[in-house]
Amino acid sequence: MDMKGEYRIPAPRETVWEALNDPEILKVCIPGCESLEKTSDNELAAEVTAKVGPVKAKFKGSVTFENINAPEGYTIAGEGKGGVAGFAKGGADVHLAEDGEETVLTYEAHAQVGGKLAQLGSRLIDSTARKMADEFFGKFSEIVGGGASDESATAEGANSIAGATAAVENAMEDVVRDAEERLEVEAGKGTFGGPMVWGLLGLGVIILIILFANM
Amino acid sequence: MGVEGIGARVPRKEDKRFITGKGRYTDDMNLPRMGRVAFVRSPHAHAKVSSIDASAALEMPGVDAVLTGDQLVADGVGNLICGWMIHSKDGSPMNMGAWSALATDTVRFVGQAVAMVVADTYEQARDAAEAVMVDWEGLPAVTTTAAALKPGAPQIHPEAAGNMIYDWEIGDEAAVDAAMASAAHITKIDIANNRLVPNPMEPRAAVVDYDGAEEHFTLWTTSQNPHMARLVLSAFYNIAPEHKLRVIAPDVGGGFGSKIYVYPEEVACLWAAKKVGRPLKWVSDRTEAFLTDAHGRDHTTTAELAFDANNRITGFRVNTTANFGAYMSLFSSAVPTYLYATLLSGQYAMPAIYANVKAVYTNTTPVDAYRGAGRPEATYVVERIMEVAARELGLDPAELRRKNFVTEFPHQTPVIMCYDAGDYDASVRAAQEAIDYAGFPARKAEAAARGKLRGIGYSCYIEACGIAPSKAVGSLGAGVGLWESAEVRVNPVGTIEVLTGSHSHGQGHETTFAQLVSERLGVGVDTVQIVHGDTDKVQFGMGTYGSRSGAVGMSAISKALDKVESKAKKIAAHLMEAAETDIVVDGGAFKVAGTDKQLTMTEVALAAYTAHNLPDGMEPGLKEGAFYDPSNFTFPAGCYICEVEIDPDTGKTEVIAFVAADDFGRIINPMIVEGQVHGGLAQGIGQALLEGCVYDEESGQLTTASFQDYCMPRADDLPSFQVTTTETICPGNPLGMKGCGEAGAIGSPPALINALTDALGTEDLTMPATPEKVWRLAQAARRPMAAE
Repeated sequence: MDMKGEYRIPAPRETVWEALNDPEILKVCIPGCESLEKTSDNELAAEVTAKVGPVKAKFKGSVTFENINAPEGYTIAGEGKGGVAGFAKGGADVHLAEDGEETVLTYEAHAQVGGKLAQLGSRLIDSTARKMADEFFGKFSEIVGGGASDESATAEGANSIAGATAAVENAMEDVVRDAEERLEVEAGKGTFGGPMVWGLLGLGVIILIILFANM
Repeated sequence: MGVEGIGARVPRKEDKRFITGKGRYTDDMNLPRMGRVAFVRSPHAHAKVSSIDASAALEMPGVDAVLTGDQLVADGVGNLICGWMIHSKDGSPMNMGAWSALATDTVRFVGQAVAMVVADTYEQARDAAEAVMVDWEGLPAVTTTAAALKPGAPQIHPEAAGNMIYDWEIGDEAAVDAAMASAAHITKIDIANNRLVPNPMEPRAAVVDYDGAEEHFTLWTTSQNPHMARLVLSAFYNIAPEHKLRVIAPDVGGGFGSKIYVYPEEVACLWAAKKVGRPLKWVSDRTEAFLTDAHGRDHTTTAELAFDANNRITGFRVNTTANFGAYMSLFSSAVPTYLYATLLSGQYAMPAIYANVKAVYTNTTPVDAYRGAGRPEATYVVERIMEVAARELGLDPAELRRKNFVTEFPHQTPVIMCYDAGDYDASVRAAQEAIDYAGFPARKAEAAARGKLRGIGYSCYIEACGIAPSKAVGSLGAGVGLWESAEVRVNPVGTIEVLTGSHSHGQGHETTFAQLVSERLGVGVDTVQIVHGDTDKVQFGMGTYGSRSGAVGMSAISKALDKVESKAKKIAAHLMEAAETDIVVDGGAFKVAGTDKQLTMTEVALAAYTAHNLPDGMEPGLKEGAFYDPSNFTFPAGCYICEVEIDPDTGKTEVIAFVAADDFGRIINPMIVEGQVHGGLAQGIGQALLEGCVYDEESGQLTTASFQDYCMPRADDLPSFQVTTTETICPGNPLGMKGCGEAGAIGSPPALINALTDALGTEDLTMPATPEKVWRLAQAARRPMAAE
């Protein structure tokens, strides 16, 4: 499947870039994300649990970043395995453009899904992936644009992923707490369950890809 | 004879138990201590298996064992076989890749099993299967033959360079070249026969019991041919010798070909039952069925048909590429060769035919015979090109066909087959009358006034059934003979048991076979029991496929009945002190012609078993067996006409009328024949309009692996069929039967597509003709009109 998207994030590009490099922020924004850690300067490992109807699967994903051109964009490649439930692998090109005080994020993703995910849910994947991507960026925009302070956005050393992560860590703590609360509320409303169906399994991974794309 | 003999509409004896829920299927078998099996299957179309970690699964509740391919191979279980050797045109044998029941180092299609879990319950086995951690190393995959044949394509089996299984030919290439060179007109088409999933109502299943004391296996399985299963399991897989293996195929809920074959799951369950020391049951779920039941069709073909100035066919050239999937299933090699190319003459006198067939591996589910098996593919090629040729030549499609019909029999075609009997024009006339062909232009005009597009299409199919003379198929590479066996047991009180090697899984044998006995001996069908499907009860037999149970299976019963009747007449003549030649069988009694002396079947049978007063030297008892080897194929043929109406705004096709005029030779039970035709038509119309496998070409994933995405025909997709028959008696078997089980599925797809292309005014339509495709063509057809 191929997917394209564009999001306007109400924060300067440097801020967005840094936030996208913060595993803690990403973790909050990815539905069902249980762990997310950097395994090297350009690699991330994540575990995402997705429950869809009768199937609950934990996807173990890894994402690699290439063509890093801070703060303008990345190319990423990722893979997630959910055991018998299936797998997803793919990549995306992500680009951040400045537009005044805001940032326009565009991505083009290409992914393959396999296993039960493909057999039973291939028709649902595009729409579900899009929906989850929308949710992710919605949360992300809230956190980065709404709660984040200007000073974190101008932190030095933003060109380095590690540096960026350290710089935004403190500033993000409160935001993350708020976000978690909001997520719980959303979960209570069934946003992350019910009819989202099989696609979710792959979406977790696709989202990881997209997200990481943004890192 | 009588109300229950040949030709009577006897209600199906077996239906009472089926419709009251009393059928006994494989999944109904439950044994003490029985474990349940779940398979660990590949989510990848092509991958190396680096490691399998069962440690977590083994610790889960109820789990008894996790078994892998390495263990299976170490125990000496043989690879799965293909039972029909095909040689390429250069003389080399087909290139068959090794296929282990559980994959060891490489998987080649999504759904291939790499391990099996045995647990106390089905749920435990399934959960544990999900916990088996397999380290896959993905490889590039190909799903189409075009991609698989490209230079540099992923190599699927080391045994088949370039993924080519065989490059086979039949016919006279030079003669066809000459015909093309001198032709007044050549019609050329490129067509594809879409891949189908058989989808019988009952999924495959296996129950295995191993008796350690006797070292004896019993396998209950969903098989169309339990003896063949036992033969293959014993001879090739080294699991048990024949006398230590009993195969039972109890009630089976449909097969359509997909239950002919011995599959990896049955082999693995047999092996595992002994290894873990408990009875085992495996039942396929529907997704497993989509992924692992042998698929059908999947041909791409280019065909050219040459005509002389009088519109007579002078030559036919066909190039076909057949997608075999990832492994060669049991009869796969025969389907696009001897079951396909030998029917390319259709109903027509063709002086020269040349066909080249390439069989190709891809990373998809294995493909084998599916209702029709090669003949639907041949009919689609022949009947599409005839229709297109008629349009190009400006002729009525029936007229062009008539001009080229075979009218004298026997007729030797250039492609092996010798047609023994038929009257093709009679079928055309019957079909035209039934559909009111003369009234079509008026109906088309009326539809056009409502903004609808009407079309009408023909299909004059011929197929070969009653497979087949053993000597002939042996010379063509078959690994077995294709005769059938029967035993008729008259019990001491006159009831009758017929033991047959045929297997009934929806065909109604328990009724039609009893009708034959009723016809011959004058007894009621309720006094006749048909016994089938158990290798311990029934003598060796070849099973049911290729519409052979009537022409071959019943002919064997007929031969056994000849012997029973002959012996019973001798006994009756002896007891009534009459000449044997004066004894006639009438109404269940043996009568002395011209007198009122008679003995009932009961009296004769009792005399045979008491043996108090038998002719000198006669053995007691009344039980006879027979083997019947057919002298030729049989050739059912017919004319189907379909009328469709398209709504150009939505692309929705409505099948307004579908007429089937079939010649099946002698018919035993017209009601059952009509049921077989109805079912076949539904499947053929399903292929033409609705069904089709879709693989993701990049990842090799089957994206139509459930009824959510694979569209089966439903009642409201189908018209009320008009089914009629014409009759020419088949001279090749004692009953004059030809076979009716597959004709509907063979003949109907081209009639549908011919009708749709007639309505749309373009030939550029592929199966399944979904509303989207039809809508696009309807829009394109509208444009010129709008410009006027």
